[in-house]
Amino acid sequence: MNKYTTVSIPRALHKRVERLLEGKSGFKSVSDYVTYILREIVEMHETNRPPAPFTSEDVAQIRERLKALGYL
Amino acid sequence: MPKVAVIGLDSVPPSLLFERLLDRLPNFRRLYQEGLHGDLRTCDPPITVPAWMVMMTGKNPGKLGIYGFRHRKPGAYSDGYIVNSTHVHADTVWDVLARKGLKSVVLGVPPGYPPKPIEGGSVVSCFLTPSKERPFAYPEGLKQEVLDVTGGRYEFDVTFRTEDRDGIREQLFEMTENRFKVAKHLAERKPWDFFIMHEIGFDRLHHAFWKYFDPAHPKYAKGNKYERIAEEYYEMFDSHLGELFALFPKDTVTFVLSDHGSKGMEGGFCVNQWLEQQGYLKFRTRPSEVTDLDKADVDWPKTKAWGWGGYYARVFFNVKGREPDGVIPPKDLESEKRKLTEKLMGIRDPAGRVMANRVFEPDRLYGTAIGDKPDLMVYFDDLNWRSAGTVGHDTLYLSENDTGPDDSVHSMDGVFMMGVPGRDLGGKELKGLRIEDIGPTILKLYGLGYGDGASVDGRVIPEVVEACR
Repeated sequence: MNKYTTVSIPRALHKRVERLLEGKSGFKSVSDYVTYILREIVEMHETNRPPAPFTSEDVAQIRERLKALGYL
Repeated sequence: MPKVAVIGLDSVPPSLLFERLLDRLPNFRRLYQEGLHGDLRTCDPPITVPAWMVMMTGKNPGKLGIYGFRHRKPGAYSDGYIVNSTHVHADTVWDVLARKGLKSVVLGVPPGYPPKPIEGGSVVSCFLTPSKERPFAYPEGLKQEVLDVTGGRYEFDVTFRTEDRDGIREQLFEMTENRFKVAKHLAERKPWDFFIMHEIGFDRLHHAFWKYFDPAHPKYAKGNKYERIAEEYYEMFDSHLGELFALFPKDTVTFVLSDHGSKGMEGGFCVNQWLEQQGYLKFRTRPSEVTDLDKADVDWPKTKAWGWGGYYARVFFNVKGREPDGVIPPKDLESEKRKLTEKLMGIRDPAGRVMANRVFEPDRLYGTAIGDKPDLMVYFDDLNWRSAGTVGHDTLYLSENDTGPDDSVHSMDGVFMMGVPGRDLGGKELKGLRIEDIGPTILKLYGLGYGDGASVDGRVIPEVVEACR
């Protein structure tokens, strides 16, 4: 079975990505780039990787501070 | 190309700056009398995060997908995350300027941690920075300069401890004085076309001391030791401001702006206890003492809705397929929202008067609302009552904040002032200003905009552009 399938994206977006890639090395094609981006995003959601640059201690400390200020 | 500087005062209302204190503040007064001024309408919700980003992107909170300091993780009953600079995806004024090769100094504008690199710029992160040990500046080497000019005593925020007002006062003044040391350093030593600094100290002053300095506050006591703290703090700020203005190049157009106002707090309304009374929230074991809802024994499969505390309430429905123990079929969500809205609008204060509540649905309010939005946003009695999320109280009405010392709540109008060097604009008052207008107006002064398709909500303020012509 073919390892690849097709998804549709708007032509205008395709054009934008093409233009973006003109200045970049490392991506062979729009498909190559879109696969890379999608993989990153899907993995982020799958692993529930926190988008925040805060550690859990930071979050606890900031929460306490905001709470003391009446924000939570 | 002009130079533009913004002095950002967090949470300053017109009643304090324009009325009560202006006469004592020569630098603010000069700007008021010789420039343009007006009340600056904030966004919904009137909260620091997102308000400064609304100002700097020209977009409303729904388009930014930012509704407060903390968001709920999708579907979670108690898990949330703190909003940080990486959650802002729209272009700010300095992003647009950087693309044109123009340089910015950005000091403390929230959410500003982690500091986002801007080409050729100097960035110091905001009061949400976890500690001085972290990389809080861009370029990275700037961190050492910040520590050096303040003798290692730069602080991002003050720490609130219940009833330790002396401690808060000391930290507050020192924090702001150090902010100015850094601001002056950056203004003088770094190349810039756009300069913006943000001071959180005003917000902390108001929350910690409002009842001491406002004779109209229900708990004001004449002759108390902090009666003049607002005068002292604003005067200190004004004198540093004069020194900072003197360092700006002669042609600098200057703005003084606040993100929302402040007013005395009436009390806290226990939103979750009210929801329990109305049959929306069920406990397996009723809490015997005051506790966060997170820690209470909620019977989720029998709960229809719950709320978050803060200066406004966020209400979430327990929807089948969305929440783990959801009970409301998605098709009924809209009618449930309407029913609950009606009930919320009928809430009475302790004296039996119907509160002037406001209830918003994010999608209707903003047109588009992306990100982790609540189902309903509620202002209790025009924000005079904050939302208390804790449970286990024997009343719906708290005379104190349930989570710490707090004497003020937020109000919808902040301040706007601007001045042009060498021009007397006659102290004209502008009407109808909104924080969304600030970013587009500043960019216009450089002959720029956010670009086609940016769907900005603000408009260019014509009087400001005219004044700079």
